[in-house]
Amino acid sequence: MKDHPLSNCEEKFVLAAIAENRRFDGRGVYIYRPIVILYGHDRGCCHVQIGCTRVLAQVSCEVIIPKQTRPNEGVLHMNVELSPMACPSFEAGKQSDYGVEVNRALERLLRDSLCIDLESLCIMSGEKVWQIRVDVHVLNHDGNLIDCSSIAAIAALSHFRRPDVTVSGEEVTIHPLDEKDAVPLSVNHIPLSVTFAFFDQGRTLLVDPTDQEERVMDGKMVVGINKHRELCMLHVSGKMLVLQDQVVRCVNIAAARVGEITDLIKDTLEKDNAARKSGKEFGFAKCLADVILGVDDLLKHYVDSMSVDTTSVGQTAKTVVDADGNRVQMEVDNAETGNVSIKVPGTGKMSTNTEGGAVTWCEGEESDSDVILLDKNDSTSSEVSSKQVSAVVELSDSEEESVLMTSQDLERTELSKSRAIETRENRGGRCRGKSFGGRNRGKRGRGNGQRYF
Amino acid sequence: MEDSIGKVVIPGDILQNLDEKKGKIKVTVGPGLIRDGSHIAVTKSGILRHREPSVFWVDCHQKRYVPARGDNVIGIVTAKQGDVFKVDIGSSEPASLSFMAFEAATKRNRPNLNVGDCVNAKLLVANKDCEPELVCIDSYGRSSGLGILPNEGFLLQCSIGLVRQLLRNKFNVLTFLGKAIQYEVAIGMNGRIWLHCHTVRETIAISNAICRSELMSDEEVQIMSKKVVDSLQGFE
Amino acid sequence: MAGVEVVSEQGFRTDGRKPNELRRIRCKQGVFSHADGSAYIEQGNTKVLATVYGPHEIRGSRSKALHDRAYVNCQFSMATFSTGERKQRPRGDRKSTEMTMHMKQTFEATILTQLYPRSQIDIFVEVLQADGGNFAACVNAATLALIDAGIPLKDYVCACTVGFVDDVTIVDINHLEETNHIAEFTVAMLPKSEQFVMLEMSSRLHLDHLSKVMDMATKACKDVHLVLDRAVRDHVSEVWQQLGNT
Repeated sequence: MKDHPLSNCEEKFVLAAIAENRRFDGRGVYIYRPIVILYGHDRGCCHVQIGCTRVLAQVSCEVIIPKQTRPNEGVLHMNVELSPMACPSFEAGKQSDYGVEVNRALERLLRDSLCIDLESLCIMSGEKVWQIRVDVHVLNHDGNLIDCSSIAAIAALSHFRRPDVTVSGEEVTIHPLDEKDAVPLSVNHIPLSVTFAFFDQGRTLLVDPTDQEERVMDGKMVVGINKHRELCMLHVSGKMLVLQDQVVRCVNIAAARVGEITDLIKDTLEKDNAARKSGKEFGFAKCLADVILGVDDLLKHYVDSMSVDTTSVGQTAKTVVDADGNRVQMEVDNAETGNVSIKVPGTGKMSTNTEGGAVTWCEGEESDSDVILLDKNDSTSSEVSSKQVSAVVELSDSEEESVLMTSQDLERTELSKSRAIETRENRGGRCRGKSFGGRNRGKRGRGNGQRYF
Repeated sequence: MEDSIGKVVIPGDILQNLDEKKGKIKVTVGPGLIRDGSHIAVTKSGILRHREPSVFWVDCHQKRYVPARGDNVIGIVTAKQGDVFKVDIGSSEPASLSFMAFEAATKRNRPNLNVGDCVNAKLLVANKDCEPELVCIDSYGRSSGLGILPNEGFLLQCSIGLVRQLLRNKFNVLTFLGKAIQYEVAIGMNGRIWLHCHTVRETIAISNAICRSELMSDEEVQIMSKKVVDSLQGFE
Repeated sequence: MAGVEVVSEQGFRTDGRKPNELRRIRCKQGVFSHADGSAYIEQGNTKVLATVYGPHEIRGSRSKALHDRAYVNCQFSMATFSTGERKQRPRGDRKSTEMTMHMKQTFEATILTQLYPRSQIDIFVEVLQADGGNFAACVNAATLALIDAGIPLKDYVCACTVGFVDDVTIVDINHLEETNHIAEFTVAMLPKSEQFVMLEMSSRLHLDHLSKVMDMATKACKDVHLVLDRAVRDHVSEVWQQLGNT
């Protein structure tokens, strides 16, 4: 599959903007997009988001026979999967050149810099050692995959716990998790990578390029460094020539950035550990509900919770089939007001129930008919009809949590586009013949901001 | 059917039982609706729209463009093959654009189009069985705004829904911003918008404002445009 | 193999060199009759062969053709007998693919590709004996082969490896030193303008030592350049003499 081609005007414009040190999201040249680190339910599962780039890392372990040349050391195996889910230009199966580049960069950063003490992974010299495997999957590609993958990999390694082992003479016992607490890996240092994109023969540099910037760049330099100012990896790619002082400058900028990211990783690890200890909820479902991506201040727009009118809906669904198959007369409670909250443009929340996974639909129930939006006015004051389920039904599909519905739970259906839809629906009157949805006259010309279409 | 106009419909909803209606009624169904035996069924989720006398369609949110005849689109030239340019319009197949389909083009006088340039063109042929064809002139042979877009602009990718919104509404983010900023815009039905302003800063501001305005109501759009204009002019 | 001293107290390395000494470089151009350009280089015990074909018609898929410049196709391969233990896959594993990519990138930046649009230049490199500094030797061999083929370049591309251990910078690392997990820099640069075409680094190195290491790398590459330059001039004058022109 091919991604959409880069047009000349786009390329020219982005280069002109970068020459003026302007970036599309208003960032400074050495500033990162907002980084979000989330940990999953299982130990060693980590999801990292840098802006829109998303990456998931999972660590697992296995007992194997060590290499003959290194009988006392365990093995660290890294694998980065660039699936076509992330970007149409990635191919499934055979690894493309870019895939190899990302894989090797990460291998050098983590394995060759000895961030994990491999000798501590030895169980019995020459016979049994632990093999730690880090699998990184790229979920969405919006530039800067190497940095995102490195943060995910090292955070997952720090989060991971391996089963405890006792060796008595010739016998080796691997204790399952319920017998003995799992043991963390011994992480020597936290190496992270910082990517620089070069433009205009190295005269302009940007940190953390987005996909658009990556397409027009001359080349990039990836600097792997840790908090103690130790250089762990250097990688230059692209058709460009660099000078020594440029390299030194980049490395110094990277050293400054890495400190902040290391602190962020440590913070999130501590929070997750604390949540696990105190018995609070943890895992993706909890974390994702709390995340709000940073949006440019100027265009940030927080929408107040809005109610949606579904009175006509309530009237049609009068009876409900409960778990026993009996038809039960339902009381539609119109007193509750619903909440339509739009977190970020383009996303909406399907349920206000923050325990992700708790489905409040009854089996065999008549489906709620469409959520109908009336309003002739812009100011809305309406209610969401709520259903009260009379019985408790268990649906346990999810591996993580059992899904329960109780009569206390109320269902709120929210549409992410409900607000937009509501104000548009009354303006759809004028449309031309065969083209549905708008005028299509191809007029274009200069003007004082006249809309030409 | 009439009572669901302007309301949300989802695939599988049955709108009208044609057998019930007496007499002859000619009902035109558009995108998102399909005639299924004796009734009209909905195939895409969105809002049902209506235009007199009896045209119905569903407005849905989509990112991928499916070519339709008569649409005005912005394409990017990917190859020159003999007498024909291959243009990418974001659909499943690249469209073809003959070099003769430009104003004042003759066999000797060819248009100056290179690989990577943007064109504002109209779809002449667009059905599911063959590759789409574009033209840059209208039926009278005049360009009427179609043709090669100069290299000085910026091409923005957005959803089809946003583009339809911009074209349908009389007052939208473009008119609000246009009161204070001078710009040139070409909107393609395939979710591409070409934008050109005097400075880079204005272009970036306007393109961000357009993208964000998709989910905002009118007042919010007005507030946001005012904020954008103020900051561009230096107050804040 | 911990415990092997890389640099002894007297300042000598395991093979008797001083820290800033390069290994002996022997090279020869024009070794094959069929290829447009070829070269053979020996850096100490590392032996590498390089051949160049081009610029010629694009082979395989037409889609690779670039409308404004030549397409550079590289292949890096290590012979199965080149390492101590028999290498199962001469090419296709991750490290070889990475080396191939680096070579392609290095030469795309140096060859004047705008002079040959819609054509292809092939560079094939085979490592016959790997004793450390494989990539550097390959780049040097490929440079000689390109010069032999007459393909216009911006400058010589000289590559070298530099290591840093126990506060001493060592140049031109051999295999024994590589296995000791020392901080290793591989650089390829254009010696006249002192610009780096390719830079790779593994293991840990404190930032304070970075400039020292890079200065040493620059000097080492310039030394390699002198050797290669000498070899090319000798070869060219020999060929011209044989052709009967002085």
